[in-house]
Parts: sequence; C-alpha cells; structure tokens
Amino acid sequence: MFERYVQRWLAWAADPEQALRAPLLARSPLFSGLPRRLLARLGTRFLEKSYNQDEIVFQEGDPGRALFVVVEGTVEITQATPKGEYVLRTLGPGDAFGEIALIDNFPRSASARAASLARLLILYKTDFDALMDGNSQITNVVMRNLAHLLAVYARRTPAVVTDANPAPKTGNPP
Amino acid sequence: MRPVWLLLTCAAIAVLAWLGRGLVLPVFLAIVFAYVLSPILVWADALAIRRSVAVGALYAVLISVLIVGGVLLGPGIVSETASLMDRLPALAQRSDRGLDAVVRELAESAPALRRLLPEGEGWVQRYVINRGFGQSEDLFEQMGHAFLLAILVPFFAFFLLRDMPRIIARAMDRLPPQHVETSLAVWREINGVIGRYVRGVVLDGLVVGTLATVGLWAARVPYPLLLGAFAGLANVVPFFGPLLSVAAAGLMVVLTPGQGLAGVGRVAVLFLIIKVLDDTVIQPFTIGRSVHLHPALLLGSVVVGNHALGVLGMIIAVPAATLLQETVRLLLEHRRVLARHDLRRSSERLIV
Repeated sequence: MFERYVQRWLAWAADPEQALRAPLLARSPLFSGLPRRLLARLGTRFLEKSYNQDEIVFQEGDPGRALFVVVEGTVEITQATPKGEYVLRTLGPGDAFGEIALIDNFPRSASARAASLARLLILYKTDFDALMDGNSQITNVVMRNLAHLLAVYARRTPAVVTDANPAPKTGNPP
Repeated sequence: MRPVWLLLTCAAIAVLAWLGRGLVLPVFLAIVFAYVLSPILVWADALAIRRSVAVGALYAVLISVLIVGGVLLGPGIVSETASLMDRLPALAQRSDRGLDAVVRELAESAPALRRLLPEGEGWVQRYVINRGFGQSEDLFEQMGHAFLLAILVPFFAFFLLRDMPRIIARAMDRLPPQHVETSLAVWREINGVIGRYVRGVVLDGLVVGTLATVGLWAARVPYPLLLGAFAGLANVVPFFGPLLSVAAAGLMVVLTPGQGLAGVGRVAVLFLIIKVLDDTVIQPFTIGRSVHLHPALLLGSVVVGNHALGVLGMIIAVPAATLLQETVRLLLEHRRVLARHDLRRSSERLIV
C-alpha cells in the first residue's frame, strides 16, 4: 500500500520531458557511448522547438551557432546546385545535424528543412563548449564520434571538391 | 501590426510599468536570488525531477538553514544592533562636541576660513542620526517594507525558478526559424554572463564579509558581526563598496573610547589586506571569467550607473556594461563570419 503511494508520487515527481532526453541522445551517433549520467547532464542544455513541414531550420551560408537533434519527424539536409536542390541526407529521430558548427566558426555549408512536422532539440555552441571544458569524458567520446562521422561524410559525399589549382608544393616531402 | 496598435501597446506597457514601479526592487532581488539557486535546479533537471518538486525541496532546505543560522547568529546580531542603537545618541553627542571644538578652533586661528567652515552645531546628530534613522514612525515603515521584501522576494523567485525554462522554451517556439540561432546565442550569452556574475558577486560578498567579521573581531573593533555583514553587502558595489566598509569601521573605532588612531590604523590595514586578497585570490575563483571589462570601462560604468539610478545603478552597472559588450561582440562576430568565410571561394567543402 505504502509502496504504491511512493511509486505514484515518484512517477508524479519525475519530469517526463527531461527523462526522455537521455535515451534519445543515447541513440544519436554523436553522443553514443556516453554514460547515462552525462547524457542527462547534456540533456539539460538543450532547448526544444517545433517546426512545421517545409520550414527552413537553417540555410546554406548562415552563421552556424548550434547543433540540432531530431526528436520527432524528419529533416532533409540539402545543398543548392546549378541543377537545383540536392538532398544530401534525410534524418529521423535521434539523428543530429549541424555538428560542424560545434568545431568551427564557418557558415553553414548546407541547408536543413523540416520534411514533415518536426520537433528538434537545439544545443548552443557555447553550452556545448562549457560542458566539454568541464568534462574530459564527454570531450573524448564526442570528439571520437565526430571524427568518425566526418570520415564517413568525406568518404561517401560527392560534395568534397578539391581545389582545381592547388598551390605549388614547396620543400621536400617527408 | 499597425503603427497605432504598436503605439497603444507601448503606451499600455509604459503605464503598467509606471503603476508597478514599486515592484522593481523585489523583482530585481528575486532575479538575483533565482540566479544564485539556479545551478542546483539544473542538477535536479539532470536527475529528471519535476521543477516544482525540486524548487519546493530547495526552499524547505533553505528555510531549515535560515532557522539554524538565525538560532546561531541571530542573538549576536540583535544584541549588537540593540547596543549600537542605545549608544548612538551618546556617541553622536561626543563626536559633535569634538567636531564643534575643532571648527571653533579653526575659525579662531584662521578667520579667513570662517566663511568656508560650516555654521551651526550638532552636525552628526542632525545629518547622521536624524536623517539616517529618522522618527520612530519612519522606522516602523521601513521595517514594514523590509518585511514585505522578505515575503515578496522568495515568492517571485519561486515562480521564476519553476517557470522560467518553460517561458523561454515557449518564447523560442514562437520565434521565426531564421532568428532562432541568433536569439538563442544572445539569450545564452546574456544568461551565462548575468548568472556567473551574480553568483560570483554573492559568493565574493560572503567570503569578504566573513573575513571582515573575523578580522574585526580579532582587532577588538566593536560590533564585528554588524560591520562584517555591512562589508559583505557593500562589496557588491565595485570600488566604492570597500571604501564605505573601511569608513564605517574606522568611524566606529574613532567613536569608541580607548581605540585611538592605532585602532584606525589596524582597521585600515585589515581592509587593505582583505582587498588585496579579494582582488588576487577570491575574485579569480568567484567572479573569474564572467566579466571581461577594461578597468576604465568598469569604473566609467559604475559612475554612469550611480548618476542614473543611484546605488542600484552602481550594482547593475557592471553586468549591464558586460551585456552591452557581449551583444556587440556577437553581432560583430556574426558579420565577420559571413564576410571572411565566403563558401563560394573556399576550395574544400564538407557537409553541414
């Protein structure tokens, strides 16, 4: 009897939104491998926002200041080409995008659009930096995941273009 | 929105702000209180505890701490205050007698100075005792205000702590998508700067207040608890706060028989040591990297704050100047990023 009341109270005292964030982030390739305790801490830094279908999340050339994680719905990553818009990736729940903004200050190199009604978690770059500065485990795991993701993109993406007129080499190769 | 409606809305907001001007101080103090407590609630968020439960539990703990603190420190502070209030008229009379004698002597020895010297007698009685403490009705009114603040500040802070994340989330949800990242950046930077500054200043004040209390007690200065508490509170005001603290302690030493100039020297050395410790050891740990203002800009902002809003202006001058600086930095960074890294010119590309 008493246990049942305690369980009901504990269920009421729990924040369902925060409770769902850690498992969702655990599914993301960028944060996989982080212990649940750190995922829960990471989850408190995110802000949630809804997007209507076809609403632009960000556009190519915008300054990148945040990382996005899909909670619900689908998001398309697109790039403008002379022949029209080219869909690079379609993302679903748990997928993260905009991760390059976390490591440099370059503008966005592609656009993101909600392909259906979507809910996204947004992490501001400085919050992410603060968390990384305060915890080396988060830094190690996320940087390893990020390097892995970048390697995957570099291998499979046709958008990697080398300079047509490279600068002349100087000095001897090692 | 049509210009007429915009004007009407602005006018309505201005009228409401004017009507609610009495709430500015309680709301300001509630914001400070909420910023001090917010890291504990972020920790509770990580444990997925409902905000209302976490804030309620935190308030229960705080009330318990206040009761224990009141039992331990309350009698000392009350007895020091009562003793000071009893002694004040006699102290004022004595200092007035000394001051009047000095003025008379100066006037007799240098008649040319007579025009510059203040006329009349009983300056401390008139300008410190009567103005500072006033009549008993004023005292009751001030006590009523303090009691109201003690109720309103935790009340507003409770709702700020409980509902602020939801309010921010709703505001962001209503923003057009193209403004989300910049708005989030500005909000996070402002929130971070204010939060770190407020928590740093409060912690700094606590440490300085404790050091001053212990130091004054060791130097046998009367009323160490009251003067230490004053030093901690005054420390919130940059530059002028520490000067006020040393002036108050020095005045107390001058008015106490048997302390003499040696006592004033001890107090000056004590506050100098505390100031050096504060600048070199305490502040780097408490306020640390939250404020990156040039010293000249810092002093200028305090002076401007004093002219605009008095003591409150001096307190909020530094965070306000820091906010302005951070906002300008963000906007300039925005422009720089767009100008410097034109993607069409870059030789290599990676997605997103």
